[in-house]
Amino acid sequence: MKHLKSFNKKAKMLDQATSQGEVEEVVAMQSVVGCTSVNDPGWEVDPFGGLGSLCQPMESDLYGCADACWWPAQVPDTMSSHPDWSQDVAKANEDWRKIDSIFPED
Amino acid sequence: MKLTKMFKQAAIVTAIGASVLLTGCNNANTVAEAPATINGMKAGGHEYILTVTRPNELHIVDTETNKLIRTCDVPGVFGNGGIAMSPDGRIAYVMTNKWEDVYGFDITNCDIKFSVKQSYDNVQVKSITSMAVSADGKELYTVQNPVRKLPDRFETMEPRLAVFNTNDGLNAKPVRTFPVDRRITKIGAMHNGEVILGGGDLKAIDPQNGKTRMIKALQNWDRAPDKWVPPDAFAMHSLGEHVGEFIMPYFTIRWNGAPGDESKADFLWGHVRIDMKTGEVESIEKVPFEFIVFNWITDPHDKDVMYGSFNQLSKHNVKTGETINVQAMDHTYYNINMANDGKTLYIGGTSSDISVHRSDTLEKIGSIQLTGDMSTSDLRLARLK
Repeated sequence: MKHLKSFNKKAKMLDQATSQGEVEEVVAMQSVVGCTSVNDPGWEVDPFGGLGSLCQPMESDLYGCADACWWPAQVPDTMSSHPDWSQDVAKANEDWRKIDSIFPED
Repeated sequence: MKLTKMFKQAAIVTAIGASVLLTGCNNANTVAEAPATINGMKAGGHEYILTVTRPNELHIVDTETNKLIRTCDVPGVFGNGGIAMSPDGRIAYVMTNKWEDVYGFDITNCDIKFSVKQSYDNVQVKSITSMAVSADGKELYTVQNPVRKLPDRFETMEPRLAVFNTNDGLNAKPVRTFPVDRRITKIGAMHNGEVILGGGDLKAIDPQNGKTRMIKALQNWDRAPDKWVPPDAFAMHSLGEHVGEFIMPYFTIRWNGAPGDESKADFLWGHVRIDMKTGEVESIEKVPFEFIVFNWITDPHDKDVMYGSFNQLSKHNVKTGETINVQAMDHTYYNINMANDGKTLYIGGTSSDISVHRSDTLEKIGSIQLTGDMSTSDLRLARLK
């Protein structure tokens, strides 16, 4: 963690746990699904360093990541914050042009 | 549910009556092989594949014809599309409305026989795929993850196993709750009455008194840390209901040299497989981690043979580690299931088509088009009695 600076409250807590040797309390990606427990930035490469084991095409994976909050930063969270996002687009592969972006509300 | 029973009894009486009449006219052997029907659907153990798609529909596919035969509208917003079947294969309990509500559908006519709204007052309750029905069909289990939404903050409450009586019909309430670990996703009900809790570790809970026991430590396994990396499990989707199993795949690394020396390490798939009837537990790591699978499913004719799916459909011997066959897929699929005859594989999840394959060659033999994307939905086998 020497080269990373904690930015928000949760990151500071993670940083603190690491410095106190309590890392076992912060175990990521161990059978977790859901917005509060996943911290997955989105894979740019697959576990083998390539692209072949990323989901293909991304439209097949889009709702699977949104509905389970797998990519909370990249895809609207349909579990809690934006349940109606894309509900009128039944097939992402065919109608991806109709899928809207989410913008902050006033 | 009383009404359901009446329908069922009436259907059975009708079927028996029809059989008696037919026996008088035809060869008795022919009659014995003819399955009964319920509301026009073949019963007597006939198998169906079920899944849920956007916008929010439960689909029922006949495994004999691989045709979509019924679609039921599911109340609420889609999510996650989890399905748990009653033991008689007639009621499909569907998780809906952003992973919060459960509706029990009679798959023979789409009638809603059961419902649960888990959230209440200012408490939001979600179940992360965790839903199971007891072996006798009398109870439904969910793992509830409650959050109290206060004006200035969210209060994360303790997760719990909720027990519902399936006979309580619409707007059922939990009859018992017991505290459980966090991060539980995949659960299953064993024949001895215990509920398997799939999370960081695999535990079992007695839903009568909340007493838990460890089935298999994964995150907390006691293997030497300089030899093994604790498993990383992705506990969603397929369970192994076609052969009465609960399977949880995981990934691990065996350090054959110094820890961290990947040149000498084995990257391995492992799994925990539990026989739901006997409780027997198998844990083994043999299959090389050469590509991703989301789930394993067991060949009914050879327990050592398993199939996995993701970007490829693959066939492995989990005892020797041999990769028997690999078939490229049209796109990513999260889910896999098969009929109990062991001949046909159904690959689903993600998009709007179920890919159908021969189990011996993995050749694609069909595609079942659905009305929307399956996303995180289950792909379940129902054996209609």
